[in-house]
Amino acid sequence: MAPAAKIDLSCALIQIENVSKTFKTPAGDFPALKDINLCFGQAEYASIMGKSGSGKSTLINMITGIDHPSSGTVRVADHDVHHMNESQLADWRGRNLGIVFQFFQLLPMLSVLENTMLPMDFCNQYAPAERENRARLLLDMVGLGAEANKLPAALSGGQQQLAAIARALANDPPLLVADEPTGNLDSRSSTRILDLFDELVSQNKTVIIVTHDSSLAERASRRVLISDGMLIDETMADALPMLGHPQLLRLSQLAVNRSYEPGAILARHDNGKTGLFVITQGQVEALRIFRSGESEVCERLGPGTYFSELELEQDERSVLAFRAVSDVPVEAQWVSHEAFYHFLGESNAAENALRKAATERFGHIHRQVQPRKSFWWRR
Amino acid sequence: MMMTQNLITTPNKLPVAGQAQPDRPLIRLRQVTKNYRTAAGDFPALRGIDLDLYPGELVGVLGKSGAGKTTLVNLISGVDHLTSGEIWVGDTAVHQLNENQAAQWRSRNLGVVYQSFQLMPTLSLLDNVLLPMDFTGLYRGKSSARHALEILRQMELEEHAGKLPSNISGGQQQRVAIARALANDPPVIVADEPTGRLDSITAETIFEIFEGLVHQGRTIIMVTHDASFARRFTRLVWLADGQVVDEPQFQID
Repeated sequence: MAPAAKIDLSCALIQIENVSKTFKTPAGDFPALKDINLCFGQAEYASIMGKSGSGKSTLINMITGIDHPSSGTVRVADHDVHHMNESQLADWRGRNLGIVFQFFQLLPMLSVLENTMLPMDFCNQYAPAERENRARLLLDMVGLGAEANKLPAALSGGQQQLAAIARALANDPPLLVADEPTGNLDSRSSTRILDLFDELVSQNKTVIIVTHDSSLAERASRRVLISDGMLIDETMADALPMLGHPQLLRLSQLAVNRSYEPGAILARHDNGKTGLFVITQGQVEALRIFRSGESEVCERLGPGTYFSELELEQDERSVLAFRAVSDVPVEAQWVSHEAFYHFLGESNAAENALRKAATERFGHIHRQVQPRKSFWWRR
Repeated sequence: MMMTQNLITTPNKLPVAGQAQPDRPLIRLRQVTKNYRTAAGDFPALRGIDLDLYPGELVGVLGKSGAGKTTLVNLISGVDHLTSGEIWVGDTAVHQLNENQAAQWRSRNLGVVYQSFQLMPTLSLLDNVLLPMDFTGLYRGKSSARHALEILRQMELEEHAGKLPSNISGGQQQRVAIARALANDPPVIVADEPTGRLDSITAETIFEIFEGLVHQGRTIIMVTHDASFARRFTRLVWLADGQVVDEPQFQID
């Protein structure tokens, strides 16, 4: 999967800057979010994924204004979410935000139609005479036109969630946030909900889903991983799917940004211990340099791929080198040899996974006589 | 509790505390059947239910998953329509109401509470309780806010009235849902697995609240699959395969 393009902060729909959140508990302070920096653009389809207790729900509550950060700022649709009073916040939320929850949260005494009209009544964005019509259009769109007059309890769980989505769209907000939207649904209903999210993104809506389910997260075009209240580097996560969240988080913290001119060598076997590179921008050529001095390009590596000294040190016939292509500069996240060595020492599981991947790559290099166009280097 | 002072008496309103006639059944089901159409043919969810429920009863509807518990209470609350038979609540033939009549009747006579609370996440607790009042017009303006606060006080949630649901615990959210169900002072409350997402200690507080409400003369019909709650009810209705059955032989204890 291609990683998300760098987002221009000035046009981002959501900007989260230096956000920390600490909960006071009887057992002492619990840091739920630690200095989060993150943005989302218009029409982006993103998932926020993490284990229970990772901070994902706290993070989403910062965006919706349901909870307040201990420090830092959150801007959504040009408003500082946490510098509004309750009534400003309610008004802003009504216009800019649709929220969908795991358990639907439809008002039980109101029909599906009335539930869908409710946010319009609160927000006054649509004239009273338009509201029923608009609600019926939205219900038609989610496939519930025939159920409009029923009460939520008369619908299946999947239908209730579709109704909740119709309600979330009542005031035509640019942003839809869904917290475990399929957590309580069978797989057929889940697919229907996710198809609907695709449709909304194609209509220029930004959709952010929060989930602990990786198969659900895969549907989004961008995956944000959170572990222990901190963000995992997204490119790192894409490049190294064999690693667990805590390991990815550790590597994210160890990595530094590096830039290379076109044609520059990033690493070569006889250049000692080179650490780990994850390419974030540009193209890198993997080169075999033979003892004769000839060289051939084995593969081109793009953003979201990696290489490490584990591959380098295993190539015995020739020198393997990595070079920025001649026409564009390269940006990479680099973990130094010392840091990488230390990281492998900390986690047997990570070392085994990376060595296994390295062996599989190395085997290809040996068998390969002619340069190939295949994507053996990609996962 | 001072709930009864807020009693609104309207012609189609059922009697509550003080006016209850405990000898006369409040809710009567006669040969009630309900079939669901499925791809595999008609599925009989209820097969001829006869039932009399009296004012002030705390009724437990028990049985396994699929026994017809939710279908039964959805018919009593007019959420779903029966296939044949009759359902009377007071002098109202619930099975003959059309959608509009059912909505109006429900809003005055019935409070509902569900497993997942179903509160509006972006509205304060107070606004959540106010919503049904806004829709029925039984209370207006300042008197509605006063009334909502009073019910929240009875649920020991007054100090949280301005908070959003996500900032309180699950047990507190369910108490808000009960407060909302009480907003229009209904004589009947239907609760479908209201303790399903709560721990046992929190579930206990919900039962205590329900006991207080039936003490006022309200009738509560609660669905649960948890047979260990059986002793908490004043009346048990066991369902199996869509029929009322005797208490199962396996003793829970």
